[in-house]
Amino acid sequence: MVMIVQPEPSTLAHYAVTAGNIPPIATQIYEGLATYDWDQNPQPNLATSWEIAPDGKSITFKLREGVVFHNGKPFTSADVQFSFMEILKKYHPFAPLLLAELTGVDTPDEKTAVLLLANPAPYLMKALAGRDLPIMCKSVFEGTQILQNPSANKPIGTGPFKFGQWDRGQFVRLDRNDKYWKPGLPYLDHIIARFIPDAATRSAALETGEAHFAGYSAVNYADLARMKTNPILDTTMKGYEMTPALSVLELNAKHPPLDKKEVRQAIAYAIDRKVILRDVMYGCGKPATGPLSSLFKTVGFYTDDVRNYDVPDRLKIANKLLDGAGLPRGANGMRFGMHLEVNSFGEQWLRQAEYLKQALAIVGIDLTLRSEDTATWLRRVYTDYDYDINEPFLSQGVDPVYGLNKQYLTSQIRKGVTFVNDSFYANLEFDGILNEAMREQDHDKRAVLYKKAQQILAEDCPLVWLIDVQYVSVFNRKLHDHTTGPLGTQQAFERAWLET
Amino acid sequence: MRFARYMGYRLVTALPVILGIIVLNFLLIHLAPGDAASVLAGESGAATPEYMDELRHKFGLDQSLGMQFLTYVSNMAHFNLGYSYRNDADVSSLIIERLWPTSLLMLTAFGTAVALGIILGLVAATGRNSWRDNIISLISLVAYATPGFWLGLMMIVIFSIGLGWLPTSGFDTVGAGHEGWAEVWDVARHLVMPAVSLALFYLALYARLMRASVLEQTGMDYVTTARAKGQTERRIMTGHVLRNALLPIVTIAGVQAGNLIGGSIVVETVFGWPGIGTLAFNALQSRDLNLLLAIFFMSACLIVIINLIVDVIYVMLDPRMEI
Repeated sequence: MVMIVQPEPSTLAHYAVTAGNIPPIATQIYEGLATYDWDQNPQPNLATSWEIAPDGKSITFKLREGVVFHNGKPFTSADVQFSFMEILKKYHPFAPLLLAELTGVDTPDEKTAVLLLANPAPYLMKALAGRDLPIMCKSVFEGTQILQNPSANKPIGTGPFKFGQWDRGQFVRLDRNDKYWKPGLPYLDHIIARFIPDAATRSAALETGEAHFAGYSAVNYADLARMKTNPILDTTMKGYEMTPALSVLELNAKHPPLDKKEVRQAIAYAIDRKVILRDVMYGCGKPATGPLSSLFKTVGFYTDDVRNYDVPDRLKIANKLLDGAGLPRGANGMRFGMHLEVNSFGEQWLRQAEYLKQALAIVGIDLTLRSEDTATWLRRVYTDYDYDINEPFLSQGVDPVYGLNKQYLTSQIRKGVTFVNDSFYANLEFDGILNEAMREQDHDKRAVLYKKAQQILAEDCPLVWLIDVQYVSVFNRKLHDHTTGPLGTQQAFERAWLET
Repeated sequence: MRFARYMGYRLVTALPVILGIIVLNFLLIHLAPGDAASVLAGESGAATPEYMDELRHKFGLDQSLGMQFLTYVSNMAHFNLGYSYRNDADVSSLIIERLWPTSLLMLTAFGTAVALGIILGLVAATGRNSWRDNIISLISLVAYATPGFWLGLMMIVIFSIGLGWLPTSGFDTVGAGHEGWAEVWDVARHLVMPAVSLALFYLALYARLMRASVLEQTGMDYVTTARAKGQTERRIMTGHVLRNALLPIVTIAGVQAGNLIGGSIVVETVFGWPGIGTLAFNALQSRDLNLLLAIFFMSACLIVIINLIVDVIYVMLDPRMEI
């Protein structure tokens, strides 16, 4: 089976780098303690059962018997302890959010691991999949420099496929793990992840049948309509239920007049999200209604009961707000000028920026677009804070804790750190709600807190939420059972099979 | 003996040039804002300042520029090109992996372009304003004006999707496990379209250059002299005109051969060819300094060597020139 991964990962060190192009390969090799059903409930995987202590401060995992790593070493609680404490807690980019409460891992016996927490961490139960918290083999890493370990690019895990070969610039080959603990699985003998930098050629490789699967919108949105008419191909939007993401505008509140709430709201009113959805995203997604992706509806955290910026008389409101903020139109019809930093990760962002320039000109805001390469752009926005409006794309993780905490907490105004609170939003009441929700064990109480948090954010409008992004997979009709759960391309293709 | 001494002299004088290039590249690269740690952390979504400090420490970015430079030069002096932290691999192995596909593509394309260009130019010039001259001139004009990436995509549409003759992309059929001649055939099938789309532009250039050059030489006095001596037209063409007409081709080809190691980012991207061009581009985007400097260094060395070869060819073609 040949799948297309775009772009080629720079490394397969899944435990230390969370770039989105690594998991489609790495999750074939590394597994997590649990996996998730379509309702996003944790299901047994490397752990067969678990129990959360009544005070929420420890989680006891019973581990599966008879699991061996690809190097032949048996999987035990020592591997869980080492993976969590020595690798993930120290080097995983999300550890400061996800594992902040983790103080230790007890291993009363070989098949029991107890995660010890300083405070309850209900979100942890959503992050046990191989994509988020993979389990590595202790003996591979012990006594070495973790970040320089040779297994970074020759990963060793417990998964259905073993690492075979990486020809840089071309492909990664994964081979069937004959000793996989699920009897009879996987069905495929090999998975080949191919890297084709040009979007048109990627589409061509699918159309000729050279490649069978392209997830994560590796195919250009513009080509999707053509793909759908091809008799050998089909598309699906399933498999991204636990990969919520929003495209947004970050507004720098240190740069007047963006410090005024009315001005930020006016910008939110001035934009027609339906145009972006139709002309930039080719219909893949929904207009965003607030700070959380609507994918959180499944688990009950999403609400659209917030200030609605998509109303029929939105332009009138925007103009009124700007007039009220003391920003009259000048001789050329413009009220003030701003720079928009164009996202460097692909041309769709330039198209979105072009639309934004038009849309904001209607209400008298004169945008100047600035395109720079990734390193320059990230430095300008997150280190130098030398920007007015930025158009990033924000992954929201599997629990509101990821997306909300790092983006809006006052403590997350951290110079030099990318994709955190760079719009200088600081609201103590809101901070209190988020911190409470983070530790609240009762699901319904959490939902109430997050609803309140979303309402406050939508009112304060530190960011403008544009599109609730929907990824698309394109696949050959001969490939079956490729998307078997809500993690989709970011979980193993253990049941996938290819018609001959 | 004289030849060996000349070569030695040229190689020794090239050393300061290469050193100068290293220094210049090093400084230029450090002028670019942003660093590898911020790109890496940016791709990961979020990271702690401590994590980024650790990355910077690991990459050696926390040292002063002078220190970084000294470390780099001393590594180079030991033929150690360094380590690419972004790719978790040795720079030399990264480059060597790509060297074979790049040289295969570039030499095929370049060789075809030079050889065919010379022949076509000669054919056009000897039949000036005839039908074959017009056809060749027209074709070379079209080829010269066609962007390589467009040609590449059109070929994919026609020969891969439409006719199904050739694979869309890649270096060989992954996982097919071909050996011996089957592998050669497989690579050749993958090579055709990228080589053609790359060669066509150069081909047109050399054909036009060769035509002009031959026409200029045929008007020279020495041609009249040779004709007066009673030599056949064929002999005049091969013995006298061709040699002299080749000089400008060698000059231009020498300059363009410098691009060989850099590869062609456009063609590599369209055909997913694992070349050095994309490697360099990605290294620049991610501020992978060790890798980028090593590629620059190799390009510099190659250009010095090619210049030397061009000078030697001059002497072979034109006995008036001396070493």
